[in-house]
Amino acid sequence: MTRTLLALCGLTLVLALGGSPALADETCQSPYMAKITGQEEYVYVWTLGVQGLGDGSDKLVTVDVRPGSSSYGKVVASTSVGGRHEAHHGGLTDDRRQLWVSGLDTSKIFIFDVAADPGKPKLVKTIDDFEKASGGVVGPHGAYALPGRMLISGLSNNKDHGGRTALVEYSNEGKHIATHWMPTAEDSNGAKIESVADGYGYDARVLPRKNVMLSTSFTGWSNYMMDFGKMLQDADAMKRFGQTAVLWDFHARTPKKVFHVPGAPLEVRWAWGPRNNYAFTTTALTSQLWLIYEDEAGEWQAKAVADIGDPSKIPLPVDISLSADDSLLWIDSFMDGTVRAFDVSDPHQPKQVYEKVIGKQLNMVSQSWDGERLYFTTSLLANWDKKGADNEQFVKAYDWDGTELKHRFSIDFNEAGLGRPHIMRFGAKSLYSN
Amino acid sequence: MRLRSAIAGVLLCLSIAGPAQAEPAAVDAAALARIAQPPLGLPPVPLPADNPPSAAKIALGRKLFFDRRLSHNGTMSCAMCHVPEQGFTNNELATPIGVEGRGLRRNAPTILNVAYQKRLFHDGRETALETQVISPLLAPDEMANPSIGYVIDKIAGLPDYAGLFERAFGAGPAIGRLGQAIASWERSLLAADASFDRWYYGGEAAALGERQRQGYDLFIGKAGCAQCHPVGEDAALFTDGAFHNTGLGYHADEVAARTTAPVPVEIAPGRTVMVDRKAVESVGLPRLTDLGRHEVTLDPADLWRFKTPSLRNVALTAPYMHDGSLRSLEAVVRFYDRGAVPHEALDPMIRPLGLGEDEIAALVAFLESLTSVDVGALIADARSAPVGN
Repeated sequence: MTRTLLALCGLTLVLALGGSPALADETCQSPYMAKITGQEEYVYVWTLGVQGLGDGSDKLVTVDVRPGSSSYGKVVASTSVGGRHEAHHGGLTDDRRQLWVSGLDTSKIFIFDVAADPGKPKLVKTIDDFEKASGGVVGPHGAYALPGRMLISGLSNNKDHGGRTALVEYSNEGKHIATHWMPTAEDSNGAKIESVADGYGYDARVLPRKNVMLSTSFTGWSNYMMDFGKMLQDADAMKRFGQTAVLWDFHARTPKKVFHVPGAPLEVRWAWGPRNNYAFTTTALTSQLWLIYEDEAGEWQAKAVADIGDPSKIPLPVDISLSADDSLLWIDSFMDGTVRAFDVSDPHQPKQVYEKVIGKQLNMVSQSWDGERLYFTTSLLANWDKKGADNEQFVKAYDWDGTELKHRFSIDFNEAGLGRPHIMRFGAKSLYSN
Repeated sequence: MRLRSAIAGVLLCLSIAGPAQAEPAAVDAAALARIAQPPLGLPPVPLPADNPPSAAKIALGRKLFFDRRLSHNGTMSCAMCHVPEQGFTNNELATPIGVEGRGLRRNAPTILNVAYQKRLFHDGRETALETQVISPLLAPDEMANPSIGYVIDKIAGLPDYAGLFERAFGAGPAIGRLGQAIASWERSLLAADASFDRWYYGGEAAALGERQRQGYDLFIGKAGCAQCHPVGEDAALFTDGAFHNTGLGYHADEVAARTTAPVPVEIAPGRTVMVDRKAVESVGLPRLTDLGRHEVTLDPADLWRFKTPSLRNVALTAPYMHDGSLRSLEAVVRFYDRGAVPHEALDPMIRPLGLGEDEIAALVAFLESLTSVDVGALIADARSAPVGN
């Protein structure tokens, strides 16, 4: 409880001083989580092993981003977990002492201590009974900090490897607490259904002051593990993508409304402003930016507010990052390797203001709290990544001066024998020293 | 003679409840009873002399079938590609996905009524249900185990298997006994007693509607379906168990593989975009050819020949054909109506049929009448086993 209060105090401070150059945490993290009150020092990169490359195992790679450091922009630690698990997403606990990263394939969750030595995270626990403990959920995806516990959004199930799945809660100590199955037409759990309720999952994030949580929907194991080119040509497989976002009563953990958001809505980003009652998500297949918002009557609504690139070419927007002042939304799209910035000052009328090709393929983007530094990775899924020479795998860092992204450093993960870099999380010694 | 002794063996097992001391669970007893007396429309179940069924074997086989730990990384069980609620195949994929997402070339066949198949797999490379399981256990694109010994050691070390092999076989885990157990359960998945059976074998005149009867007449007559999907006097498997070239494999390997046309991709229900093929190929591995029966026999005459599937319960087992390329029964009927894919090696029995729209609909209606009333019970049987994680 004390840690939670400290985390919330930190959040309040951060919100009050938003925009100050003294503050520099990544945006888009859980509001229940402690913040870095200075320059990020390390970027932790959850990296998917590649057969025949290095040890072939998934690993947590630590990149030194301390300005002036002799190892700035270089890999300073790499810890393999043994085997390939489809390394994908993860997150820090509310006290920010642990980083939980998971495997979409084997459903294992690896817990790293990042507090003892932030420059060298240590694997301290592996949860290897997630499917059994959760009652059949496969593909632990996000790991989102709640007070004293972690919220894990699943992607699939162990009965048919389809998209039906659940949200799963664990204590920070790694004990299963509860499983909340996503609403379906047959079992809506009281939710109002706009059009369909597919029961699929992807991301889940909370807006505490409104007591709401928003979850999105991707696809099941069979699809996310499949060769991407094969899947695009499999008409049956293409029928199995999420087309819903669910608004939940957060405290009760019950679904309130199932929005119709066709085309696989992925990442959720709640606005930070105290009166900004809305979130953004993007649909991967239909390449649209969606706004989920509370209208003047107090009803929650969802609507598409912009196209991302040329949807007919399926640019595949995959990750988004909202600036701390809610004014700028960065959107990475995989197929064209491009990041686009949308002015979302008016969330109902976003306008693209910038774009830049970062590489031949592009996946995750993380930005510092002050919005001045952005980090990018390339890997989407092991079997979705591009093949041959297009299969670039890198971490790239840029500075944003308000008009232009300026390259700071790159690390070639192929050349370094590391693998496919995916999610990034920030670390700093300052978190644990005061 | 072999059949008679096999049935006698089943009855004996039923009477003494196998080597186990305890009464078999109701679900296992029901499975044994199905084997002893198959549903209407199916012939007696052929049983190997060295593997008579028992409740203990069936229960163990079912447990193994649903155990994901049987794959190298604990993600794939047999049931992940043969999903009970999806016709014991997979309705959501043209071709299945194995360990680490590796793609297979061929559609997962249903295991309903697999007891009668003399040759297993689409190319017929295996000859016994008892040994069929070895291939997927070891195939790198299926369950990817490094060796049989690895699998057996793993099972022997799992506490929840303690005593189960001993109870079923009087001896511990071994690959032969693993195959016998799984085969014993699979052999009990008998699904007939469909509307067609009640009409044709049961003498219930009202069991088939007029359109379905019209479809049957076409099936055995003008459309010529029964040439490869025969209907017997006392029972019907709706397959000749032979290998035929419909041209589908030829087309995929020799024609479609060379196209440069854009790829239609459905990005949301009802919304399809045409995507540049090069973009699709940039995120896909090269397609592998599939030469069918030829890959087993190396006989040029067997190029692109695939085994005739049974049509029982066919309405439950979409998508269709060896590569899952046809998504509905109507699409299959239309495929044969236009004479499949004409080419030099096309099976001579295949020709354009000249069917009218009402005849196509009648044939589809007839095929839908082949769905067993027992499938729900078989799903319940299957789901009585916990998923092994």
